[in-house]
Amino acid sequence: MASDSPLWPLLSEAPTAEDLARCVHCGLCLSSCPTYIVTGLEVESPRGRIHMAKLVNEGRSELTPAIQQHWELCLQCRACEAVCPSGVPYGRIQEHARAQLDHAAPKQRGQRRVRKFLLRNVIARPRVLAAAMAPARWYANSFARRLARRSGLLRGRLGAMESQLPRNVGRPYRPANTASPSAAATDETSSGVLFTGCVMGELFGNVHRATERVYARAGIDLRATPGQGCCGALHAHDGDLEFARKLARKNIAALETTTGPIVVNSAGCGAAMKEYGDLLSGDPKWASRAAAFAVRVKDSSELLNDFPGGSFEGRVAYQDACHLAHAQRIREQPRTLLGTLAGCSLVETPGADVCCGAAGIYSLVQSEMSGVLRQRKADQFAAARPDVVVTANPGCHLQYEAAVRQAGIPARVMHLMEVLDEAASSNSQQQD
Amino acid sequence: MPTRREVVAALAEAVGPANVMWRPEDLAVYEFDGTIERSTPHAVALPANAAETAAVVRACNRLGVPVTPRGAGTGLSGGSVPARRGVVISTARMRSILEIDPVDRIAIVEPGVPNLDLSKAAAPYGLFYAPDPSSQQACTIGGNVAENAGGPHCLALGVTQNHVLGIEVVTASGELTWLGGRVPDALGFDLRGAFIGSEGTLGIATKVIVRLVPSPASVITLLAVFDSVQQASETVSAIISAGMIPAAMEMMDRLCLQAAEAGFQCGYPPDAGAVLLVELDGLPDIIDGQAATVRAECLERGAKEVRLASGQREREMLWKGRKGAIPALGRLAPNYYILDGVVPRSKLVEVMETVSTVSERFDIPIANVFHAGDGNLHPLVLFDERTPGAKSRVLEAGGEIMRACVDAGGALSGEHGIGAEKRMFMPWLYNETDIENMARLRTVFGNTGDFNPCKLLPTGTGCGEMAHQAAAIAAAGPDAYV
Repeated sequence: MASDSPLWPLLSEAPTAEDLARCVHCGLCLSSCPTYIVTGLEVESPRGRIHMAKLVNEGRSELTPAIQQHWELCLQCRACEAVCPSGVPYGRIQEHARAQLDHAAPKQRGQRRVRKFLLRNVIARPRVLAAAMAPARWYANSFARRLARRSGLLRGRLGAMESQLPRNVGRPYRPANTASPSAAATDETSSGVLFTGCVMGELFGNVHRATERVYARAGIDLRATPGQGCCGALHAHDGDLEFARKLARKNIAALETTTGPIVVNSAGCGAAMKEYGDLLSGDPKWASRAAAFAVRVKDSSELLNDFPGGSFEGRVAYQDACHLAHAQRIREQPRTLLGTLAGCSLVETPGADVCCGAAGIYSLVQSEMSGVLRQRKADQFAAARPDVVVTANPGCHLQYEAAVRQAGIPARVMHLMEVLDEAASSNSQQQD
Repeated sequence: MPTRREVVAALAEAVGPANVMWRPEDLAVYEFDGTIERSTPHAVALPANAAETAAVVRACNRLGVPVTPRGAGTGLSGGSVPARRGVVISTARMRSILEIDPVDRIAIVEPGVPNLDLSKAAAPYGLFYAPDPSSQQACTIGGNVAENAGGPHCLALGVTQNHVLGIEVVTASGELTWLGGRVPDALGFDLRGAFIGSEGTLGIATKVIVRLVPSPASVITLLAVFDSVQQASETVSAIISAGMIPAAMEMMDRLCLQAAEAGFQCGYPPDAGAVLLVELDGLPDIIDGQAATVRAECLERGAKEVRLASGQREREMLWKGRKGAIPALGRLAPNYYILDGVVPRSKLVEVMETVSTVSERFDIPIANVFHAGDGNLHPLVLFDERTPGAKSRVLEAGGEIMRACVDAGGALSGEHGIGAEKRMFMPWLYNETDIENMARLRTVFGNTGDFNPCKLLPTGTGCGEMAHQAAAIAAAGPDAYV
């Protein structure tokens, strides 16, 4: 029933009829979708959201405020994509659907503009981000934070933002200003690039340093090559595909002269960078360079066959980052790595691969649904009582710190690389 | 007819305004199930319990608005598509597992519980819920009851009918009643039996008491690779004739294998003409012997390879591909028309030949994946609904295949239900008296024609909303009862 008059406000970025036709509306995705699990409404399901895109594409419906709300409640966790037998590229459809909202923006146009501005001018600009993060970093580790928490002032969106700060923030980790002299000389199998990202480098410098040490033990020398920056995932998820492409081109230009894998310890960034080829497929000058770049991108759990192991005592609950499990389809490697550590007892909690509600900036813009999903995790943690909650993505990391507090258990939240690093160093201490 | 505003107000009173949907773009999402049927409701209500469900039904009856029950909308016969519009009652908010009793081996669940969630919840007790439709990860127990759902493992264990002991029902007249109970009840009319498979035309299940069965002591899964569907079909009867009933015996043809392999990388041979997936369960000593027999029967009939799944993971992958095979066909074509014919096992080879003849004659690809042990075929006619005239030709081809199944002594549906588009074929199997008796049973439950209208029985008027109805009636031939 294709109509000749699609109602997309920005036709050049519209979801394609071909992508939409992939959906045979079998409904198998429903039970995997966090927002359908919570609401029971098919309008909050992947099949429903795809159908709304079809309605607009076929000229059957305007892009109404209701459709905008249903799309914006989507976490873009892509759990549906992983279970879809028909291979519907849901993530891509959703990004292109959101690209329409800036132009139609039937609701909350102002909010969308502010968001777009911040994503473009703070997140994607290393110096601005560094300046913005400095006070946050000070606050996170300070006594003022304890006071603020007790004061009861942290309500609503402010509270949501506050809870998005990690418990212990280490020194930032930024790419070097100049290329290290050894870079050109090293060979491909024993060296690679560490992708530093935006927020990851500012708030999770410790994870980057842990990643370097873990890779060194596995015989791979990682360098934070200069010129790289934000991967553009947050921009693409928000529908700002134009800017996401710009950031992708910048990273490709900065890193394509290097050799070896591009190691990413943030699942969301890794997923986006593995899809650079797709993102730039319509750009004849960059398509093949992007595709060549994308195949070099590896999640930090993928290349550690030679990691010597170590010991790590405790009950460990590994929680799949959505963009690792669903977008990159990496589920086994992190569990295998944890399984090899002496004393590490893996606790599988139900719904470990259901989104925690962090979902990039989702926890800030959809704080209600995000809170429901966080509470589900908190309940699971309270029942399973792990000593450590392990994840592989900065957003999830922050959400789990809040969930652990809600659960009232003394668990630590760690990145997989931090666990491996600690395990390996405890091992070498014993050997010393 | 009442206005939409009146209907929405009445529903809001019954279930609360937050649980009623009325915006056109929201309602459009409820216009389909897993089939090519389409019809948009005027409103959707999501009751939280039996009392609210009854209130919704009574309100609709009072206003004279058609009602269509809906679970997860994964059905394959259009059963939950609101053919005459009106109100869709979704069971999606009733999804608690109320009780699991490992001693009596029963569970009490609400209708919106996904089938697989029940088996997962029963697993710690060493039990599971046997009927396992391929959509089990999403489809609901309530929907399974309505359609008398089957699944690969129903070959040995039976379909939904054999596993439901009692049902709490809001009847089409809006009354609350129990059919059956916690224990098998053999006296009097088996209204529980009548309700299962009634395709939502008698009422809505609001609680279901199901039987749970012990997980098997051990399982062997075999994949036999053949050059042709014919060889594989012949092998099915041979295995049963050898004196065993496998836990499951499934066939997939080349098109389905390609689609499933593309979707799941499950290790299917890319160059096979057909495969048989055979599962044996029971005591290790016994099934080892059975596996040897299955292997011998397959090889004797030309199997190129008989592979034994080496562990849990390989077994899971083989099943994952099988269970996702039908929607995976979305990779080959934007639409498919799925059939659900049943034939006596002895006629498998013959009917499969007819299917391939129909495919050639209409020049439309038809994929096949089916419960071979039960003779329950699922020919899938692949097409693109955007091509003008495609839909009516596809329905015509489907009609011919259904006719072949009936002529071979078979039935119109094994597990998906008759639903909307196959109901005009009912007169091929039932005479006027049969159909009138079934229609009278509906009235016993208070259905005067507005409760899931245009389903199951070839009676009723005003179903013109279903776009291709006329084409299907034409395909059914002059002796159709319309």
